[in-house]
Amino acid sequence: MSLVSVQNVSHLYVGTDYAVTWALRAVDLELSKGTLTCIVGPSGCGKTTLLQLIAGFVEPTFGEVRLNSEPIRGPGPDRSVVFQEYALFAWMTARQNVEFGLRAAGMPKAERHKRSNELLAIMKLEAAADKYPHELSGGMRQRVAVARGLAIRPAVLLMDEPFAAVDAITRMTLQGELLRLWRELGLSILFITHNVDEAVYLSNQVVVMSAHPGTVKEIVSIDFPHPRDRGSAIFAKWYARISSSMDESERAAQELGAA
Amino acid sequence: MTMSVQRTSSDDEVKGVEAIFLARHRDELRRRGLSRAALNIVGVMLFLTVWEMLPRLGLVGNIILFPPPSIVIQTMWPMTLSGEVPYNIAISLVRAGSGYVLASVLAITIGVLTARNRTIRDLLEPLLHGFRSIPAIAVVPISVLWFGIGEETKILLVTLGAFFPIWINTFIGVRDVHPIYLRSAACLGASRRQTLFLVILPAAIPLIIAGMRQGVAVSLIVLVAAELAGARAGVAYMMSLGHQLFRTDIMFGGLVILAVLGFTADRLFVGLCRRLFPWYRPAA
Repeated sequence: MSLVSVQNVSHLYVGTDYAVTWALRAVDLELSKGTLTCIVGPSGCGKTTLLQLIAGFVEPTFGEVRLNSEPIRGPGPDRSVVFQEYALFAWMTARQNVEFGLRAAGMPKAERHKRSNELLAIMKLEAAADKYPHELSGGMRQRVAVARGLAIRPAVLLMDEPFAAVDAITRMTLQGELLRLWRELGLSILFITHNVDEAVYLSNQVVVMSAHPGTVKEIVSIDFPHPRDRGSAIFAKWYARISSSMDESERAAQELGAA
Repeated sequence: MTMSVQRTSSDDEVKGVEAIFLARHRDELRRRGLSRAALNIVGVMLFLTVWEMLPRLGLVGNIILFPPPSIVIQTMWPMTLSGEVPYNIAISLVRAGSGYVLASVLAITIGVLTARNRTIRDLLEPLLHGFRSIPAIAVVPISVLWFGIGEETKILLVTLGAFFPIWINTFIGVRDVHPIYLRSAACLGASRRQTLFLVILPAAIPLIIAGMRQGVAVSLIVLVAAELAGARAGVAYMMSLGHQLFRTDIMFGGLVILAVLGFTADRLFVGLCRRLFPWYRPAA
């Protein structure tokens, strides 16, 4: 049985000139427990919309999104989201940010502290615990955001281009850490990126989307054990595979735009 | 000891350099603080000197119409010792303070309601924007006619004046909270109440503070207008008494008191904000 199930979902927007845009058209997607799924696709392919539907921030125009067979009725602590940037509460320290969801759930202070200590230790953030977000580097902020998302032990962690705003070196470190957490804690993760290298490095399953209208072009399973060597021939093979699939969808979108 | 480390430096050497660096940094901060305080004082002294010279040299007015600070102090000091000045200050502070607190509570509450509830917003926004355009001072004569010159009238006038800057800033601040904060709170399981107190209000704090600072200034303006329209005590009452007795020294004394009160209130406000909201750094 799948953890998240997106069934024949379409999502429409109306622009200022009353033009209707199909952000998503007839999308089906199944996420099973314990997998790390990446969604890749050109901009405008609806990948962020898809994540927002699963998060419950928006309701699909048509179709249904379910979590553990239950229809999703709005945002909730069983699906935490890690945003690209600006999502840490500026008025709270790293620790207070991590404890936010626990506080919302009414967990007693001592227990909350214990949980946040664990997470801060896992993310190597002990020294930053009492600092405010503006005192932290981009990489550290994103670690705090991941710790905050994990603190409430969600059924699925939704990540919307979480590493796009950090530099390349930090990005590689964060990717390694995410894989370690995924394995150690047995997480289920949906990860959005426009970076093929990131998708091939991280995921079990890559969902390639195409734009105008936003649709799932294909779903590729990558059965190649972690840790993956970026220099290996097999990595290059998968990279080429996903990359060409993305190129096709990009070209199709351009032709459609020209027509 | 030189301020540099090599790759081969021992831990102790590195620690030593750190200590020197830190000591220099502290000295620099202290020097900057002292020089700022010194310049602040020099500025005030220069101003007082110019003020003293202008009437005495006959450059602007004369000593009777434009009393220099020395004369103002000679007049105000005995009045301070006799308790007259502190009494009038206390009366004015209670009026301005009560009106201001009342205004803050009302304005922040209504600001949140109008920003988060569409029905309330659509219902009240045109009215509030309309009333906002009326200077509170313009309401002084009619309110004296209606309610007399009692304390309530003055407090309510201050409330009316301070309400609008606080309301409009709270409204904008709460309305424009970045949606990503609201989404973060929602996906972490926060209730509506928790979202309001842990997310929306803190996110809107910079604007609420800006409104509250404006409110302090407006409170003083309206207070003076209300006291001038009729009062039996207060700083502006003391000034109007000076006016009737042709005691310009008392009138200037009142101006100095108002300046000091406004300045102190603003500094206290900034200091309090630093203490309460360490994550937020107002520019001044």
